[in-house]
Amino acid sequence: MRAMNQTLADFATGANQIIDQQLPRLSLTEVLFAERARLKRIIAGMGLSAADGEDILQDVAVRTLHQSGPFESREDGVRWLIKVTINRCLMEHRRRGSFQRQAHEILERRPDGQAASKATDEKAVVAEELELVRESLGQLDRSLLAPMVLQYFCGLDSAEVGRILGLNPSTVRGRLREGRMILARRLLERGVEP
Amino acid sequence: MEKSCREIQEMLVDYADGQSSPGDSSQIAEHLAACDTCRNLLDALQRSLDLAGVIWTDGLSETENLRIAPSRGSGGIRRLRYAAVAASIVLVATVSIVWRASVNPKAAEVTFEQIEREITESASAARLLAATELLAEYPDARPIVDQQYQYIVETYPQTSAATKAQSHIQ
Repeated sequence: MRAMNQTLADFATGANQIIDQQLPRLSLTEVLFAERARLKRIIAGMGLSAADGEDILQDVAVRTLHQSGPFESREDGVRWLIKVTINRCLMEHRRRGSFQRQAHEILERRPDGQAASKATDEKAVVAEELELVRESLGQLDRSLLAPMVLQYFCGLDSAEVGRILGLNPSTVRGRLREGRMILARRLLERGVEP
Repeated sequence: MEKSCREIQEMLVDYADGQSSPGDSSQIAEHLAACDTCRNLLDALQRSLDLAGVIWTDGLSETENLRIAPSRGSGGIRRLRYAAVAASIVLVATVSIVWRASVNPKAAEVTFEQIEREITESASAARLLAATELLAEYPDARPIVDQQYQYIVETYPQTSAATKAQSHIQ
């Protein structure tokens, strides 16, 4: 992992040297590499595969190099990157759907000591619940999924999510309520006791 | 005045997220102490978010190893070239894998899972190779480009992209 980070850091330096005559792009490239973990988190949260994620990151990198900017602050640049990544994820969703891995595959991949170590009956319940939530996330309207990923998986607050998605914080809260209720009610409707 | 279950349920997400006012929080807590339906819904809210977290985190394990390999230049044509190079490598790799599976005496041992994995790896290697070849047009990027070729050779040794990357390494 350290070697990969070093490679990426070197790559960023090299890319910056190549385009060093274009200051706004230079700084945005730096931001892109600094924020890559967060962008990967968004891609994962939106349920896309590694192959699709790689395409998305490449596209975001290309758009970054073509972005004429300038941005008033680093935060503006981060927001722009998140917005571009989210939009690109939504585009990919329309073509391919999402959350394709089945619940049992997810459970099998989990490290020992977590769900995999539970008794068989309990594991079956977890698998059923997980499958329900996976289905629900896949069917969730994208206008509800994106705020949920940004708030609950990327740790942003509603005001920041609103700035990125161009929504009022109260609208963000409304969408979070709606999305959360859909997931919770589906668990209850199928008779899976929480 | 005491709130109905419906009113309480509309406030439950904010309550679970710690976004309720102190006044609302105490009203909700009081209601929850006496209402199984709303308490079950609160539990389901938490449970479903926990499970969503499991699914998101599982996806993250796949995306953690993704690399960013930026290219530069006139967007449309350059990206078409990138896609064309990657697509041609993947096509050759796919044909080769399927051909091997059909004519090799050990064909019975090749599973679709293996074929799928090989094709996926070929695709990833091809995309990285195509991006690296575009970057290689810039002399200043040589050290980075060499690292990228080395990475492809080491990470995807069985792919045709690795063979091509190897030929670029001096």
